[in-house]
Amino acid sequence: MKIRKELWFGFSLMAVILATVLIVTPWSHLTDAHLSREDLGIFGMLMLALVVVAIMLGFPTAFTLMGMGVFFAWIAYRNVNPDLANRQVLDLMVQRTYAVMANDVLIAIPLFVFMGYLVERAALIDKLFKSLHLALARLPGSLAVATIVTCAIFATATGIVGAVVTLMGLLALPAMLKAGYNIKIAAGSITAGGCLGILIPPSVLLIVYGATAGVSVVQLYAGALFPGIMLAALYVGYVILLAKLRPGLMPPLPESERQVALPGFAQALSAGGRNAVIGLSRGLGGRPGVDRRTVWKQLFVALLPALLIVGVLTISYRAATAPVETTDTSGLEESGIAAPAEDSAEPADAGGLQEPEGAEEGGLQEPKDDEAKAASEPAQPEAAAASAAAKAAPQAPAAEERRPVPVWYWVMLAVGVAAIALTYGLLSWERLEVFKMLLSSFFPLALLILAVLGSIMFGLSTPAEAAAVGAFGGFLLAGAYRYVTHLGGPAGGGAAWTTVREMGTIVKESSFLTAKTSAMVCWLFVGSSIFSAAFALLGGQDLVERWVLSLGLTPFQFMLLAQFIIFILGWPLEWTEIIVIFMPIFIPLLPKFGIDPLFFGLMVALNLQTAFLSPPVAMAAFYLKGVAPKHVTLNQIFAGMMPFMGIQVVAMALLYAWPDIGLWLPSVLYGR
Amino acid sequence: MQKLLLLVDKISTWVGHAFSFLIVALTLLVTWEVFSRYVLDDPHAWAFDAMNMLYGTLFMMAGAYTLAKNGHVRGDVLYGFFRPRTQAAWDLLLFIVFFIPGVIALTYAGYYYAAESWAINEHSNVTADGPPIYPFKTVIPVAGAFLLLQGIVEIIRCAICIRQGAWPSREEDVEEVDVEELKKMVHVDGKADGG
Repeated sequence: MKIRKELWFGFSLMAVILATVLIVTPWSHLTDAHLSREDLGIFGMLMLALVVVAIMLGFPTAFTLMGMGVFFAWIAYRNVNPDLANRQVLDLMVQRTYAVMANDVLIAIPLFVFMGYLVERAALIDKLFKSLHLALARLPGSLAVATIVTCAIFATATGIVGAVVTLMGLLALPAMLKAGYNIKIAAGSITAGGCLGILIPPSVLLIVYGATAGVSVVQLYAGALFPGIMLAALYVGYVILLAKLRPGLMPPLPESERQVALPGFAQALSAGGRNAVIGLSRGLGGRPGVDRRTVWKQLFVALLPALLIVGVLTISYRAATAPVETTDTSGLEESGIAAPAEDSAEPADAGGLQEPEGAEEGGLQEPKDDEAKAASEPAQPEAAAASAAAKAAPQAPAAEERRPVPVWYWVMLAVGVAAIALTYGLLSWERLEVFKMLLSSFFPLALLILAVLGSIMFGLSTPAEAAAVGAFGGFLLAGAYRYVTHLGGPAGGGAAWTTVREMGTIVKESSFLTAKTSAMVCWLFVGSSIFSAAFALLGGQDLVERWVLSLGLTPFQFMLLAQFIIFILGWPLEWTEIIVIFMPIFIPLLPKFGIDPLFFGLMVALNLQTAFLSPPVAMAAFYLKGVAPKHVTLNQIFAGMMPFMGIQVVAMALLYAWPDIGLWLPSVLYGR
Repeated sequence: MQKLLLLVDKISTWVGHAFSFLIVALTLLVTWEVFSRYVLDDPHAWAFDAMNMLYGTLFMMAGAYTLAKNGHVRGDVLYGFFRPRTQAAWDLLLFIVFFIPGVIALTYAGYYYAAESWAINEHSNVTADGPPIYPFKTVIPVAGAFLLLQGIVEIIRCAICIRQGAWPSREEDVEEVDVEELKKMVHVDGKADGG
């Protein structure tokens, strides 16, 4: 009788809340003819308790808040001047509503949501998972690691937890179960990974928090970047550690699963040696059974990272040594391009000594346009890189008015050279194949995310603008993927037409879904802003403030209490409700304890990860259960999520102990 | 009766669908504006107001549509475990206590708010020479009226459910997590990948 138990749990919780309110409320005061300020404050608390109960009953939260707000605001106004009360309540309502309609922060929500739906429908998650899985095949627990990384990237780009968890449940769960993974770990890595999207920017959660708390969304994005990556890294670290310590939980993949099928030309050429670049260069000379154009194409793909590096290095060189007068604008823009590239090199480092990722790192730091020519001779990669370095060096004296090359540039150059030497030295045929797969799944997505984030963080555009351009990019991405799919499929010559028709459906459906999701979030905002106005009018805020201050908490204790309350609220409520209803109560208290609202927001965002994972409203678990094989029980899924919730608590502790994890980037970028 | 309910559903859905295309307009407008500002060096002062109006109209007019599809977020602690009859009883009560007064107040207040704006021929003051703002304010009572209509339909649904013990049917619509659709996506891709 599971259902009974759940109901008992809920009802007893409600009973506790109601009983507390009924006992604490000094009824004798309220029955007097006139209400003093104190009594109104008590009404405020009553309202807060009632709204929690009403939300638990399951009525749409937006209208619960709206109805209660109107009623209690009317009481507050009536107490001051009964004649004006009706007029004032109506004015308050319509003005609050209009404020939400004209809120220039919230505009970004429908745009990011739209971008998410479009990217989701690009249908590239399958490729992404497969290529990451192959790329990471050597790590212990590689499937779980690949799952988490895929989830993190895909969830970051789409922000739709339900879809990510469902897709990965269809894709990764069977794969992991087949490989003999423990059910709990498989379920935990999917659900926890899928929720990363609400933390790692660009996320809707941070916009909602920013709009509620009056904190700049841009700074929140900059601040949440590293805590988000840290949380993902902790998940990955935990999985790897567990796989090392108890291999029985996550047996390594059999050799056959790790094999990459080589195409014909590669098989022919690989006879000459393991190194792909050398083999391809030799292949240019002509080989029986190998088309030369194919070889050129492959060589070009293999050297793409090199080309990209040239761009980055040249640009950062120009930025670093630009004459002083022009630095203001060009320096800003160019570092905007260079820095995200460095960011993406970081996860590559975290990925360890894995080859294709090494290729990426190399890809982001080095060579020269004409290196393709250099490599067409039997190129020792070191030699190529050295020649690139040699070419870079004479440029410095050539430009007279330029500033001297700073040390960090030389460091970057050295790292780039080393990386490229390593990369091309180790680039075997299999790795080239894996790299090509990453190129068509991982990099476009990463590029989209970095472009959106980069333009927001470096102040090139507002979040709303970046979101719109991102949505447009998502549209192009979806179109390109669909087109390529159809090109290889049965549609053949009609691929373009099929794609256009399909994109029509995709845009239509994405628009409808966007309208529903935005209406849900924004109407909730309308409701909550009327509600919190009523709460403030009744003086509930004062009461809370006096009560909290009377406790004489230290800032640490206050933070602990606040986070604990939010954590508990995460069990019955969803993150939208928690933020729009309870943040207006917490935020005014922050200055009293000297806590930065930005920092508090980061803690809350980390904390609310748990809202998706904690039963009974753990949406992630239910989505996974919906697509999991029958023998996977809900209890197993919940049990699998527990260690990841523990990691979230650890991550919060880390962030609290070293606030710089979150605050360093905003301080560098915006000089906070 | 069921026919009438579905008709109102259809109206709400149609309105919601029609206005949901504003997101496409919004995306294109902003993308163009960014392009125009950075590449053509030709920013438009009205773009800010236009963005706001598109966004505000989009979500306000989609309110009834979302209600018709049961898309407004609910606290799902107990609700999912109730029998349909219990669900309907609570919903009915709370629709009458919270929803109806709230939305009527919003529509009524919005009507006068918009009327004032029309009367003074109000223009946006965000930028000099801002675009007219009265049509945007008119959205409040219009959206409120559609929402009210849909709310009444929902109340009737609750009543039917209490009498019959099961929820009357709704129109189908795109779902955020459509498992069948997602399955197809993974499957199709798997084939195209060729292993």
